Amino acid sequence: MIDEKKLEFKLGIFVFLGIFILAIFVFSIGDFKIWQRGYIVNVDFGFLNGVKLGAPVRFRGVDVGEVRAIEIIESDESKESKVRVSCWIKNSVKIPSDVSVWVNTLGLLGEKYIEIMPGKNNASFLKPHACIKGNDPIAMHELGLLAKELISDLEAIILKLKNREGSLANLIYEDSLYKKIENIISNLETLSNEIRLHPWKLLYRPKEKRR
Amino acid sequence: MKRPNFNFLALGKNIKDLFYFLGSLFHLGLENIFWIFHAPLKKNIILEQIEKTVIKSLPIVSLISLFIGIILALQTAVQMQRLGSEMYIASIVALSVVRELGPVITALIVAGRSGAAITAEIGSMLVTEQIDALKSLAVNPVHYLVVPRFLALSFMLPVLTLYANIIGIIGGYLICVYKLSISSTMYINITFEALRFKDLFSGLIKALFFGMIIALVSCLEGFRVEGGAEGVGKATRNSVVASFILIITADCIFTAIFYFVFP
Repeated sequence: MIDEKKLEFKLGIFVFLGIFILAIFVFSIGDFKIWQRGYIVNVDFGFLNGVKLGAPVRFRGVDVGEVRAIEIIESDESKESKVRVSCWIKNSVKIPSDVSVWVNTLGLLGEKYIEIMPGKNNASFLKPHACIKGNDPIAMHELGLLAKELISDLEAIILKLKNREGSLANLIYEDSLYKKIENIISNLETLSNEIRLHPWKLLYRPKEKRR
Repeated sequence: MKRPNFNFLALGKNIKDLFYFLGSLFHLGLENIFWIFHAPLKKNIILEQIEKTVIKSLPIVSLISLFIGIILALQTAVQMQRLGSEMYIASIVALSVVRELGPVITALIVAGRSGAAITAEIGSMLVTEQIDALKSLAVNPVHYLVVPRFLALSFMLPVLTLYANIIGIIGGYLICVYKLSISSTMYINITFEALRFKDLFSGLIKALFFGMIIALVSCLEGFRVEGGAEGVGKATRNSVVASFILIITADCIFTAIFYFVFP
C-alpha cells in the first residue's frame, strides 16, 4: 500500500508552489487596473485614427491608464455622430480641467495611444465621468488633400512667374525696375552726403519770393 | 482491368474507425462524468495518479520548458538585433510561452510520458482479465480506473503548465540577461507588461482541456486493446498519436475561439 501521508505531502508542496507561481503572475502582470482604483474620463473625438481598446493613456508622457471603451454616439442637437473614448485613469493622478487631448503614435509598430497634456490653468481638476473634447488627429487622406491643394496653388504661382505675369514676375524679370531702384538709392546717397557735409541745410529755408 | 492503386475500401474503413473512435471517446467522457458525481471518490487512488502522471513529469517538463525559453530568446534575438529592439525579446518569450508553448509542450510531454503508461497499464489489465475480475467484484472499471486518472490529469495539468510558464520565462531571462546584456529589471518589467490576464488564463483553460483529452484518450485506447502483448503495443502507439492529434486540434480551436470570440 502506498503511503498516503507522504503522497499528500508531495502534492501539497506541488500545489503550493503552483499557487505561488500563479500569485507571482497575477500580481506582476501589466493589468494594474484590477488592483488599483481609478476613475473614468470621457473624451469626444470626431475621428480616432485606430485607437484600440486597452491602448495606454499618457499624461505628460507617463502611462496613467488605458482606454476602457470606445463607442460611437449620435448627439441629438447637432445631428452629428462622434466617438466617445472612455479613459480609465489611476486615482492617484489628477487631470486638470484645462487639457488638450490627442491621439499619438508610439514606437516601432505604430501603436496608437491617447496623449493628455495640461494647459496653463491648473486650478481645477476633472471629476469622474467628466466629458472633454479631444483634438482630432489629421487623417492621412486629409493631409494628402491639403498637400495637393498647396501644390496646385504653388503651381499656379510658378506658372505665372514663368509667363512673366504679375508684379512678382516683374520684380524678378524687369531690369528697368532694378535700374530705377538703383537711381533712387544713388539719389538718396547724394542727399545723405549733402546733409552730412552741410547739416545746416536741414534748417535752411529759402526765402519766399515776395510778391 | 487494372485495379486502382488506392484502396477506397480501406479509406472507408478508416473513416468508419474515426467515427467509432470519436463516438466511444464521447461515451467514455459522459460515463466518466456520471461516475464522478454518482459514487464516492477514492482519495488514495487519485493521489497516486497525481503523483505518477503529473508530479513525476515535472523534471522533464521543467527541462524542456527551460530549453524552449532559451531557444525562443536566441531565435528572436537574431531578428530583433537587426531592428535594434532587443528588449522586446522579453515580451515575445513571455507571450509565446504563456499563451501557447507552455500548455502545448506540457500536454505533449504528459501525453507521451503518462498517457502511454496509462494505456499500457489498462491494456495489460484487460489482456490479463483483471478488468473482468473487477466487474465480477461489482466494481465499475470506469469508476475505478478512468475517474482518478481524469481528475488527476485535468486538474493538475494547469498547475504543471504554470511551472512550465515560469521556467520558460526563466530560460529567456538567462539568455537575455547573461548573453544579450539586457538589464534584469527591464527584462522582468517588459515580460509582465506584455502579459495580460487573458493570456495566462487562456493558457490554463487550454491545459485543463488537454488534461481531459489525454486522460480520456489513453483510457479509451487501453479499453480497446485486442489480442495479447502486441495489441497492447499497438494501443499504446495509437493512444499517443490520437492524443497528439486531438491536443493540437483542440489548441487550434481554442486559439481561434480566443481570437475571434473573446478578443
